[in-house]
Amino acid sequence: MIDRVQLREIDWVLIGLLLANALIGVGLITSSSHYLSGNFAVRQMIWLLVSIVALFLTLSVDYKVLLGFSPYIYGFFILLLGSLLLFGGAVSGARSWLFSAAFFGGQPSELAKIGLILVLARIFSEFKRRTLSLPFGLLSAGATGLAFAVIGLQPDLGTAVSLVPILAGALVLAGLTRKTVVLLLVGTLAFGFVGWNFALKDYQKKRVMTLMNPGQDPRGAGYHVLQSKIAIGSGGLTGKGFMKGTQSRLRFLPARHTDFVFSVLGEEFGFLGVVFVFLAYFLFLARLFTSVPKSRDRAGTYLIFMVACLLTFQFLVNVMMIVGLFPVTGVPIPLLSYGGSSLLSTFLGVGLAVNVKMRRYVNV
Amino acid sequence: MDSQIYEDLTPILKRARVVFILAAIVFGIVLFYYWKIQILDYKKYWGQAESNRTRDIVIPAPRAVVTDRNGAVILANSIASFKVSILRESTRNLEESLQRISPLLGLDVGVLRQRVAKYRTLPAFRPIVVMDNLSLENVSRIEGRRMDFPELVIEAEPKRFYPFTSFGAHVLGYMQELTPDDLRAAFKDRKVGDMAGKTGIEGAYDARLAGIDGKIVEVVDSLGRKRDELERVEPQQSPKLALTIDFDLQAKAEELLVGKEGAVVALDARTGGVLVMASSPTYDPNKFINRFTPEEWIELVKSPDNPLVNRAIQGQYSPGSIFKPAMALGALDLGIITDQTTFFCGGVAQFYERVYHCWYEPGHGALTLPEAIRQSCNIFFYNLGMRMKIDDIARYAGDLGLGQKTGVDIAGEKTGLVPSSDWKRRTQGATWFAGETISVAIGQGPLQVTPIQIAAMMGCIANRGTRLRPHLLLEEGAAPAASPGKAAIPASIFEKVIEGMWRSANMEGTGRGAKVEGFDVCGKTGSTQLIGRETSERLGIKKKTHSWFAGFAPRNDPRIAIAVLVERGGMGGETAAPLAGQVLKLYKDKYDRPGTTQGN
Repeated sequence: MIDRVQLREIDWVLIGLLLANALIGVGLITSSSHYLSGNFAVRQMIWLLVSIVALFLTLSVDYKVLLGFSPYIYGFFILLLGSLLLFGGAVSGARSWLFSAAFFGGQPSELAKIGLILVLARIFSEFKRRTLSLPFGLLSAGATGLAFAVIGLQPDLGTAVSLVPILAGALVLAGLTRKTVVLLLVGTLAFGFVGWNFALKDYQKKRVMTLMNPGQDPRGAGYHVLQSKIAIGSGGLTGKGFMKGTQSRLRFLPARHTDFVFSVLGEEFGFLGVVFVFLAYFLFLARLFTSVPKSRDRAGTYLIFMVACLLTFQFLVNVMMIVGLFPVTGVPIPLLSYGGSSLLSTFLGVGLAVNVKMRRYVNV
Repeated sequence: MDSQIYEDLTPILKRARVVFILAAIVFGIVLFYYWKIQILDYKKYWGQAESNRTRDIVIPAPRAVVTDRNGAVILANSIASFKVSILRESTRNLEESLQRISPLLGLDVGVLRQRVAKYRTLPAFRPIVVMDNLSLENVSRIEGRRMDFPELVIEAEPKRFYPFTSFGAHVLGYMQELTPDDLRAAFKDRKVGDMAGKTGIEGAYDARLAGIDGKIVEVVDSLGRKRDELERVEPQQSPKLALTIDFDLQAKAEELLVGKEGAVVALDARTGGVLVMASSPTYDPNKFINRFTPEEWIELVKSPDNPLVNRAIQGQYSPGSIFKPAMALGALDLGIITDQTTFFCGGVAQFYERVYHCWYEPGHGALTLPEAIRQSCNIFFYNLGMRMKIDDIARYAGDLGLGQKTGVDIAGEKTGLVPSSDWKRRTQGATWFAGETISVAIGQGPLQVTPIQIAAMMGCIANRGTRLRPHLLLEEGAAPAASPGKAAIPASIFEKVIEGMWRSANMEGTGRGAKVEGFDVCGKTGSTQLIGRETSERLGIKKKTHSWFAGFAPRNDPRIAIAVLVERGGMGGETAAPLAGQVLKLYKDKYDRPGTTQGN
């Protein structure tokens, strides 16, 4: 399936940056979980190896073939997540977790993101108008909305929210007129405002808040964010040292090795550590963004761009969330936060980008 | 050319670039905000970090109360106690701190160092207990110097207490501090340093007894002083656990065993509920609850009379003559004899060119099976051994529950041993000789049984074949524990053997010491030789035999099955039988009144 030219065109720099960030993640997980039982760092390492293998395996399949199958892949995840809702919802949440753990060792919703990226790329592959048309807009929004619903109802709103940048990325590429943008913004705000103030009752709002952040303390909003800020702020310029954080391992942070792993970085390695990881992550994302033009067709461009948007969104939302610049939504940082399926889906996403790039020359 | 192969994507690439640039700008802004927090506001957050830490304090749940079968007598309870722990994260220099603490607590620095070293793998914010069972005086002394010793924390801890000290020690078991190894193995949801049941009921039902710990989340400053309480979850004690043990009978049995080494097991013959499980010598489980008396523990472990061993389930002994009922059942069932078959005992007889003696030198004369059981004639059973194959004997012994665990619900039970030709081939690579069967016929040779197996076998005989599963947990309202099935021997055959056992106790047989007026005790004595008769005569040593009695009562509608073993107690009829008789009499006096029935 792979010829020599394609092998030569594998973007090793991108893969190298991906791996470097994943290893930084293992280090952070070590520091943030060494006092917890569960060997999270070792488990993350194992998932990393699995993800590397998965990445190279998918490279052997032309992304066009994957696009051809994308409706089935997408449909499979919708059905799986939907049946989890029917099964698990009726009996107990544990059932659905067990069910999915048995098949994936993790969360299928993470992998469903890749399914959505593929199906959106397929939808827009033949879209050649300069600006978005209504049918395409509705079709792509519908595909995203359906996935959003089945994932959000799991309930896993953190993952569901990260479908938004995928759709947004696709729509931006398809071309939004000023009118569309204004309409979308006004529509969203109006919907949110009306919904929040009139439709939802107080206890429902609270429920939505807890849904957004299951670990949130009932004592008061912002408690965890405050603790996270204290942890980061007290790190100063150079930090307190690897595994020496005092704040992070106390019980302030609900998910120290997942959602709040970056707070541990801030506390233990200080501003220098933060700058270093920002830089490493930015280089990785920049490599993705600069890969966008290196595609042979429209679908490939969409693929790389949607992956880049997804990862950028998750990184920025997380680092903003933990210092209170963004509401707490439970979005982990890809590669840095603990989580096997998140790691795998990130690798598969970047794998798609590498896949597109290595096949950008026709008939050479 | 190009435009045909490659699409013109210029407009969409421009849009992609705009998004990238926007993202880069956000990166910059966010990084700027981190700079503000970490560099500009560093002092403020550093101060907050120092003053605003929380500490989780576990409120241990008091362990569930354990009672006897009537629910009235508390065998194990929880009482309040205090312990003091060191918080290593609050020390600047651990060694220095230990030096200072040592005189305050009156503990040797070496002991403190050992304690801390034992748990050094714990994270520094987890307290390590350095002293427990604090006196109130010590509590106030340490609390009074709170400012000087910020690294010390005093916590209340409910402590296990056994009001009757060594009563039922082997049944209740003991508790010990969990080590990291324990946590990896069985106690996954517990914490290092917790006390947990290791043996007996404490071990077997540890999770059920432990309850659910509560916790306090409190805000503390950098000196470890409490500033605020954020959350409090009260601990939950589990409901009390009732045992099948009968307090009075157990107390009687333990009293009778004082000064002896041995065991008494009595089962409710209808359900298998253990009424008595006494093992002597014994120990005080209260001693284990203190974390800091390793000397006493080592003393117990090393003691030559093994007080920690529960002889009732872990002691493996030759059954001697109490094996004879099993032989008789087999021989009758195989049709080798009937209850009319007679053998002659002249005090001595020859089998396979070897001379064997009866314990009664003048000889019993001609006797039938019931008489042979009554007088425990060896020659009669040697004759059965001559006529039976070892594998048939093994099958019947197995059918009666020997050579296998009874399945009693506390850990450590031993299997015992019933020899067979297969066993000998497997373990020694040799064939079984018919001559070896002769000594097995009177319960000697490689045969090994535990007292609880014998009690269960008596229960099986008493029920004319229905086996019992001994158990210690009294399940209120629950049906009697499922019987592990029925022996494949017809009830009519049991009657014939029971006739002999009844005669043994009631017609001046070897078991007469166990007779209880009006209670129709059926039983069998045993006296097991520790060394062969010839050896003892040759060496001129008179070593006392182990003394056994096993039986049940009453003959019809049996309610209690019993096994008594006294190590080096002499003849079975002389020590074990009267001891059993006293326990049985107490049972009769306590329960055998019109209209009184006890289940489980």
